[in-house]
Amino acid sequence: MTGSEPTILLVEDNEVNRDMLVRRLQRAGHKVATAGDGEAALTAMREQQPAVVLMDMNLPVKDGWTACREAQHDASIAEIPIIALTAHAMEEDKHRALEAGCSDYATKPVDFPDLLTKIAAQLDAHH
Amino acid sequence: MAAETNQPDQWASRILASAQPLLAAAARPTVTIDAPMDSDVEALQEGLERIRELLASPSSDMNHDLLNLIGAIRGYAEMLYEDIALLHPALKETLPAVLSAVDSTQVTLEMPTSDDSPPRKTEAPGVILAVDDMPENRELISRLLSRAGHTVISAESGEEALELLETRGMDVVLLDLMMPGIGGAEVLRRMKEHDGLRATPVIMISGRQDMDQIIACIQSGADDYLLKPFNPVLLQARISAGIERKRWHDREEDYRHQLERNERFIRQTFGRYLSDDIVSQLLEAPEGLELGGDLREVTIMMSDICGFTSLAEHLPPPQVVALLNRYFEQMTGIIFDHEGTIDEFLGDAILAVFGAPKRQQNDPERAVRCALAMREAMTTVNAANKAAGLPELQHRIALNTGSVIAGNIGSEQRAKYGCVGHAMNVTSRIEGHTETDEILISDATRQALPEDIFELGEPRELIVKGIDDHILAYPVLGLRS
Repeated sequence: MTGSEPTILLVEDNEVNRDMLVRRLQRAGHKVATAGDGEAALTAMREQQPAVVLMDMNLPVKDGWTACREAQHDASIAEIPIIALTAHAMEEDKHRALEAGCSDYATKPVDFPDLLTKIAAQLDAHH
Repeated sequence: MAAETNQPDQWASRILASAQPLLAAAARPTVTIDAPMDSDVEALQEGLERIRELLASPSSDMNHDLLNLIGAIRGYAEMLYEDIALLHPALKETLPAVLSAVDSTQVTLEMPTSDDSPPRKTEAPGVILAVDDMPENRELISRLLSRAGHTVISAESGEEALELLETRGMDVVLLDLMMPGIGGAEVLRRMKEHDGLRATPVIMISGRQDMDQIIACIQSGADDYLLKPFNPVLLQARISAGIERKRWHDREEDYRHQLERNERFIRQTFGRYLSDDIVSQLLEAPEGLELGGDLREVTIMMSDICGFTSLAEHLPPPQVVALLNRYFEQMTGIIFDHEGTIDEFLGDAILAVFGAPKRQQNDPERAVRCALAMREAMTTVNAANKAAGLPELQHRIALNTGSVIAGNIGSEQRAKYGCVGHAMNVTSRIEGHTETDEILISDATRQALPEDIFELGEPRELIVKGIDDHILAYPVLGLRS
């Protein structure tokens, strides 16, 4: 990785939620980049090589599932861990996320301390 | 109203509006919280209830927007809390009070909000094991079912579920299909292999995409299934049905054990002496049976083969056995057909009673009809004997009616159902006076018979040893035409 501190790519189409999460992640000391849809997420992953991706699965243009699968087949970004953000109690999503190649998942509304733990675990595992 | 309530945005904004006083209070350096207006609380409750309904419905588009909004509100609120705590350390203590005030508003949602929506307390609360690896699902199930009065025990893995099942009885198991480690299907399989757990109803929980596996689980014994996200009403209904099934099963099991005990006892006691019909009748109404020994009127039948002792001396043993078996087989069948009870086989003699253990109105009549049928059957027996090169047999039958004590008689090691009493001895004496091929009935039996059925011969006065009175006996000639 190039930068001094790892970048987290947050992929979230809902503006309010994205703003909130960016603020919280920054306050927790993370460097955050954002993308608003699955296609933009893949581009950002290739260009910025983030350390972790937080991916909402319900996205416009290209949804999270497709983006995850495509990322897995692109050698340049296949290793980047993706934490899926899935709807509360949507059991389908949990299994589909892991199947699609995500490293972990968190349900929305996000339990923030729990999310930070999951991010830290992925950062540790990949460095 | 209906169209309006379907707009989640409206409800979210109403919630925000309702929360304003609390948020405003929290933002002030000195916290004083006015009691929320009743109308605010009502609006909040209504809004949260509506949102919960929306969340329970599987329309994901609507939920997604709503979730984002709620999530963002919560996130900002938490940041606000962090900020305030940072800027005003003193508030760090008082803010949780504000938040718990919000929480308690939510808690009141769990209670009845008005008279027309009483808590759905179930009439049959049960112990439910909820197995799910997702904490929020466990919490949701636990909350919904506890409200209905059930006791909910949660397990976060298949392993934990199996351990809990070993320690205590559950009325229903709610089992998540997809779990890390031992999954739902495996827990189900182990339960079905376990004698003590097989009957516990299992409701599988899964997502829509796992329908194939759900079907497999139903085939291997799961009782029902629920799809996520739960419909709370459906959850309650399935749980109640499951508990009902369990209750029925438990009652059935108790009853079956009781019946098995009774049946074993009755078959052991009577199987050898009674026809299957009578045993079955007794089993159907076991309360009509008193085994303690009771005094009752029965008609006693004694028969023997004339001159069998000397006959047996002149025949090789296998032929004696063949002769006896053919004869007994025929006679036993006829006695059972007439619902008589065979008390004993004594050498070539048969002792049977009619009226024990089960009393019937026409015991004496059946006994006489039985004797006539036995006499007639001798033709068949002798035809077979002749064909086999064996000698022909002749027998005689005596009948008497009187009171005997019927019950299980014997020692602890060996007891059997039988009759004792004076009437038994009298029968034996009458038999001693019966001629070859004759059916002789005592006056007591004659008096117990309905008139005009049987053709009787002239009475004979018998003088018998050891019995004071003279006995009047009648030969039965046949059925009156």
